[in-house]
Amino acid sequence: MTGTIQRVVIVGGGTAGWLAAALLVARRPDLSVTLVEAPDIPAIGVGEGTWPTMRETLASIGIAESEFLRECDASFKQGSRFDGWVDGTPGDSYLHPFSAPPQGDMRDMLAAWQSACPDAAFAAAMTPQAAACARDLAPRQRAMPDYAGALNYGYHLDAGKFAALLARHATGRLGVTHIAAEVTGVIAAEDGDIAALELRGQPALAGDLFLDCSGQAAILIGGHLGGDWIDRSDVSFNDRALALQVPTQPDAPIAAQTVGTAHTAGWLWDIALPTRRGIGCVYAARFMDDDAARQVLLDYVHAHVPGADIDRLQPRQLTFRTGHRARFWDRNCLAVGLSAGFIEPLEASAIVLIELSLNALIENFPASRAAMTIHADRFNELFRYRWDRIVEFLKLHYALSRRTEPYWLTQRAPETIPPRLAQQLELWRDQPPSSWDFPRVDEIFSAASQQYVLYGMGWPARTNAAPSPAATARLAEVRERTRALAAALPANRTYFTAAAKAAPDERLVRT
Amino acid sequence: MSNHQILNPADHGALRVHTGAGAQFGDAVMACLTVPLEFRAVQGHYPIVFRRDAASGQFSALAMFGFDNGENLFLDGDRWDARYRPLAMAIQPFLIGRPAEGSDTPQVHIDMAHPRVDHGGEGTRLFDEDARPTPVLETMAGRLGDLDHGYRQYPAFFAALERHDLLEPFTLDVPLDNGARHSLVGYHVIAEDRLAALNGGALGELQLEGHLLPIYMAVASLGRFADLVARKNARVALG
Repeated sequence: MTGTIQRVVIVGGGTAGWLAAALLVARRPDLSVTLVEAPDIPAIGVGEGTWPTMRETLASIGIAESEFLRECDASFKQGSRFDGWVDGTPGDSYLHPFSAPPQGDMRDMLAAWQSACPDAAFAAAMTPQAAACARDLAPRQRAMPDYAGALNYGYHLDAGKFAALLARHATGRLGVTHIAAEVTGVIAAEDGDIAALELRGQPALAGDLFLDCSGQAAILIGGHLGGDWIDRSDVSFNDRALALQVPTQPDAPIAAQTVGTAHTAGWLWDIALPTRRGIGCVYAARFMDDDAARQVLLDYVHAHVPGADIDRLQPRQLTFRTGHRARFWDRNCLAVGLSAGFIEPLEASAIVLIELSLNALIENFPASRAAMTIHADRFNELFRYRWDRIVEFLKLHYALSRRTEPYWLTQRAPETIPPRLAQQLELWRDQPPSSWDFPRVDEIFSAASQQYVLYGMGWPARTNAAPSPAATARLAEVRERTRALAAALPANRTYFTAAAKAAPDERLVRT
Repeated sequence: MSNHQILNPADHGALRVHTGAGAQFGDAVMACLTVPLEFRAVQGHYPIVFRRDAASGQFSALAMFGFDNGENLFLDGDRWDARYRPLAMAIQPFLIGRPAEGSDTPQVHIDMAHPRVDHGGEGTRLFDEDARPTPVLETMAGRLGDLDHGYRQYPAFFAALERHDLLEPFTLDVPLDNGARHSLVGYHVIAEDRLAALNGGALGELQLEGHLLPIYMAVASLGRFADLVARKNARVALG
């Protein structure tokens, strides 16, 4: 081994594997990238919400937005709405939108909110996105350039189609080598690194760096290297989900955000694509049995999806354990995706973690085996921090609830609240979340996200001074922009119907 | 065929109009009417010339975008390449209407047959869910008011120009880089020699009536013909 890192081998062909392949080749064309996947592994099929980061990711690998939307049956996601989380009474609903509040001191902004429009929800006072979401509007007009929007947005997508598009793009246009074969063994080097993979019916595949994107199987990082797993179910104790895909009417409105609805022992996700809705029930087995969860799920579909044929729906059961690797990057093997860890998809952290992992890898790509150890230690420190922050932020959604079912009382039990979260809640009685609380590069959930959840759930906005004229003017601008955008943006359904009509022309132009 | 209606939330509550630029929205025109109160803004981008209507004998002012019918050299796909669009373009598909008799209060009318009127759910709404005008309609109403005011100044403005004999025929012969020639005939411009020869009394009179500024803006605007020719050459070069 020369010590230079040139050959990257990716194991697994889901979202994580193909995103890794495409991003690595697009941003480091000097590397040789091979992706190996077993021919008949079914996709897990959850994790169908992205963050706004996906626009930059797709642009950097050279996929046009219209092609992505069409090929992945994708729609626009402008945030998450949480129904029933505060106390479960009718009208209990708040929004965590992707667009940030206006620039400026949040204390001042809170004072302006309380003085100028105290009856408005926090999100509606801080960004026009709340009005767009309430009306099922798209965040952009079709005439805008690719990946540009009037409001910040990510996507809802069909994960299977997404992996297929990435695979076509990576192999056809970017030059990634694709091997369809099962990995049957690992050939270790003398120093304990992975030297090569044994493949069924194919020659061994050697590499300098191996990405384990094999999902929950984690065949390299867990199976071969046997790294420790850190269990987080003491804080995050949902461990099951029932998932459904429900076809929708061609003219049904397409919601502009993920909807997470609380139930007695967990919550339901609802993700609207142009042709279907992905709906699932997340629950904790020690508080709810599978039959009860199934009933919660079907009741939700019956109440929220007009025309759904309840009797024909076959929910798919998923069991999971919340936690992550002690070392995501171990020796010359980096775990990306579900092999690195899993937590309930309450804030769609799965795909963004893949993007963040790959950005960290590519921007700090080890030039030599000696440098790799240093990079791996730094990566592990950073992503341990990020996982801690994710666990804490998701817990915040439960910690602020006033629901009284046993599950919810247990979610708020002090011994289940991470110490740093408890400390922050103490500080946030006196001051809003700020970058003092979240000081690192690319904080996964910024102070703005924390503010949306905190004040969305009715946390007292303590203000002891009159607002400055500047803050009052910022919120007046939000109201004016709200009026303008509510008038100018098309409904999501209109957007996708018009895009579908225009699509054949686009294809003609390209050929 | 046009189809003019009085704009109102009962009939047009969910109506959307397209506010972007594009030939499909009727922007591919070589000129539009302009009014003296916007000459200052117009002369920054477009030549201003005058034309006498053969039938009525009345003059009007035009902002020029091109040299041939249907040619708008400022239109580049879905982009209008200038920071200011003359009011007569910027108010479309709206018009100033007046009640049949009695009142002189202008109304907002809309031409439902105009290509800016949307039929597919895109474009910008004119009224919100509570039947209140949206910002785009407020902006349009403001422009219509300005344009109406500008048209009312037409008779006095042109009367002053004729009284002082300040209009002269204008023919522009435009040789293009590729050897072709274009000519503009049948227009008038301000007679600069006669303007320069006006005595103090005449200038004071024009100044008092508010005509002097737009007259000089119209003079200055002729410098924009060089830009228009450059745009034409650039387009010819692109084929």
